Amino acid sequence: MKQFLGKRAVASAVSLLGLVVLVFFLSRLTGDPTDLYLPVDASVESREQFRELHGLNDPLVMQFVNYLGDLVRFDFGESIRRNEPAIDAVLRGFSWTLTLAVITMGLVTVCAITFGALAAFNVGGRFDRFATFVSLIGASAPDFWIAIVAIVLFSVNLGWLPTSGTGTVWHWVLPVAVLFIRPFGLILQVVRGSMISALQSAYVKTARAKGVGNRPIIFVHALRNAMLPVITVIGDQAAALLNGAVVVETIFGFPGVGKLMIDSILQRDFTVILAAIMVTAFAIFLMNILIDIAYAILDPRIRY
Amino acid sequence: MKLRTYLQGTALALVAALPAYAQDSTVTVVLSEELDILDPCESSRSNVGRVVLQNITETMTELDPDEGLMPRLATEWEDMGDGTWRFHLREGVKFHDGSALDAEDVAHTLVRIKSEDIVCEIGAKFFGGIDLTTEVVDDTTIDITADPAQPILPLLMSTVTITPAEAPLDGHMEEPMGTGPYVFDEYRRGQDITLSSNPDYWGETPEVTGATYVFRTDSAVRAAMVQTGEADIAPNIALQDATNPDTDFSYSNSETVYTRLDTTMAPLDDVRVRQALNHAVDREAFIGTILADGTELATGMTPPSTIGYNKDLQPYAYDPDKAKALIEEAKADGVPVDTEITVVGRINNFANVLETMEALTSMWREVGFNVDLQMVEVAEWLEHYSKPFPEDRGPEMVQAMHDNANGDPVFSMYFKYASEGLQSGVQDPKLDDMIAEATAATGDERAEDWSEVFSYIHEQAFDVMLFHMVGFSRVNERLDFTPSIKTNSELQLEQISFN
Repeated sequence: MKQFLGKRAVASAVSLLGLVVLVFFLSRLTGDPTDLYLPVDASVESREQFRELHGLNDPLVMQFVNYLGDLVRFDFGESIRRNEPAIDAVLRGFSWTLTLAVITMGLVTVCAITFGALAAFNVGGRFDRFATFVSLIGASAPDFWIAIVAIVLFSVNLGWLPTSGTGTVWHWVLPVAVLFIRPFGLILQVVRGSMISALQSAYVKTARAKGVGNRPIIFVHALRNAMLPVITVIGDQAAALLNGAVVVETIFGFPGVGKLMIDSILQRDFTVILAAIMVTAFAIFLMNILIDIAYAILDPRIRY
Repeated sequence: MKLRTYLQGTALALVAALPAYAQDSTVTVVLSEELDILDPCESSRSNVGRVVLQNITETMTELDPDEGLMPRLATEWEDMGDGTWRFHLREGVKFHDGSALDAEDVAHTLVRIKSEDIVCEIGAKFFGGIDLTTEVVDDTTIDITADPAQPILPLLMSTVTITPAEAPLDGHMEEPMGTGPYVFDEYRRGQDITLSSNPDYWGETPEVTGATYVFRTDSAVRAAMVQTGEADIAPNIALQDATNPDTDFSYSNSETVYTRLDTTMAPLDDVRVRQALNHAVDREAFIGTILADGTELATGMTPPSTIGYNKDLQPYAYDPDKAKALIEEAKADGVPVDTEITVVGRINNFANVLETMEALTSMWREVGFNVDLQMVEVAEWLEHYSKPFPEDRGPEMVQAMHDNANGDPVFSMYFKYASEGLQSGVQDPKLDDMIAEATAATGDERAEDWSEVFSYIHEQAFDVMLFHMVGFSRVNERLDFTPSIKTNSELQLEQISFN
């Protein structure tokens, strides 16, 4: 296990470095942040002064070497636009996104597994058809549309919830609900499919023959074996959320890392782009390792 | 039993935590973007201005669109000749840290906006190419000299937010500070900014005792927040969200849309071709269809409330036959009227910009022009709009929107029309002289000179002038506040009262 973790850490570090190189040069290909920072009628001297202050006049390779040198000391640089270090802005945004992702994925996992398992138990039954219908709608509806409709319905018309923002528990209800829908639909379908094959397997038939009750058959015998593909999909969906739930963050004015990343790309705030990508990439590497460990726990045949 | 008590407790806590809706004498303003920076020297940016300008940090003078230039931190000023102006400061004014405002603070501010170690937008936008020197006469008197001389220096001072002499010259201020009626409390990044009233303010105590600013990118959400009472003012909402006549206001937002012609290149160097481009456009057809009702036809680069705006000018009439005749006439004289002209539009510049540009392009094609529309992102657009222009370019028309809420055409004319102007497509020595003359003139003569400049540009059809735009605000009915042309750049809390 230790050896496995060591290998993974090295592989992750190499990928991360590759990512830094790629993003550093790609983002600079988009152009000069000066044009976006200063007003259209700013003088040529002001533009030149801005470039000089932010080291944008140096040769690209030298900018890169300087950047790497700072990075070794965990200095991610100052944001060009914000009056603060890039990493501060990113960690602040990431903590919001992480909380949102953990709450949402926790709820999704519990609900999707429960409903998926129950749906698989009686394939074609009323509950199965209902669950499939709901999950397909959930997996296909665009989230910006759901978000706006939810605001109009629950905030404007019914007045039950705040439209957007942060501050109280109630502010979390709509963003979590909107984010919940798609992964819930997807994972429910995977659980259902995986459970159907597990329930048809020989060991379930044996259990039934021995007179084991329905509940232990579903939740003890079949579910654990059906979980491997489910874990993979949960990992994918969680990674998507960690990258930032851009649409939801934008509409609900939620100060997460996804919106920060999009804004920094549009404004060519290079240090923030790089810091945001590194932090989220690191989190995703970490999560992948956790998933690998989960495999080993669920399936005793897997050993690292 | 224990569980029940716990649940009841939780329920009570949740009810208590329900959103504290905007109430009593504080207001909540919902802005369209999170603020990157809160330094007063950046307050020429719309959303920074709406928080900082005249609320936290004040200016020496202040432009009232109806009354003209008014005193603020300076009580009076006089022209001492040779580019020098003497300003007398208001006595008894204190910064939020308790220190008194004096001439040294003003001198420091003017150094700071042009500091080499930070880029301040006020300095970059309004004082590019102008050297400022100061001489402190006494605590409340200061002489400011501009080189080249600026006859409208008092007006220029209405853009400069005065900060204390302790403000750093090599970095942005962490917290905005000034002499204004409101004190900066806190910026919870990504969430909100709060201000509260300044008990030591030199002026009258305003009705609004505090403000919270929140940020929502989506216009529909901003409008919904005012509707539900979560916010009091959304200074800027989209046309399609301005649906309630009781709360939604349209206001002239000081933005002017036009198409800049590269008059140095054939066929656009021919006045008949330029006039034909103007006669080909049915301007009225846009209003109330793809552009909002209330949009005005423009005959000049600045809003009609600007000094010297020539109200006698009429927009070019929609006359396709005349346009065709002018093209024929030019063609007969050997002007290459069939050359392809590239029309460059800026994506997301304003609502329905794509539809507007497509309609314009088809109107030009209708009369026989060979035009090709390219819609590009801001950075690429800027390469066409600002000098140096690309060397290998063909004839171009660049769509742009220009904002001048500062009351004087000087903020626009040099940049847009002088031979050396950064965004000028014109090379006309006569116009250069006229602009220089108007820039140097004072009083009534200044208004007249500018009026002639507007008239000459219009006759020569140096551009296809299009529209003065309108913006929309939603204001909660509990407030007595009417958005105006200044709402585009500031939102003075002291001007708000309650119904």
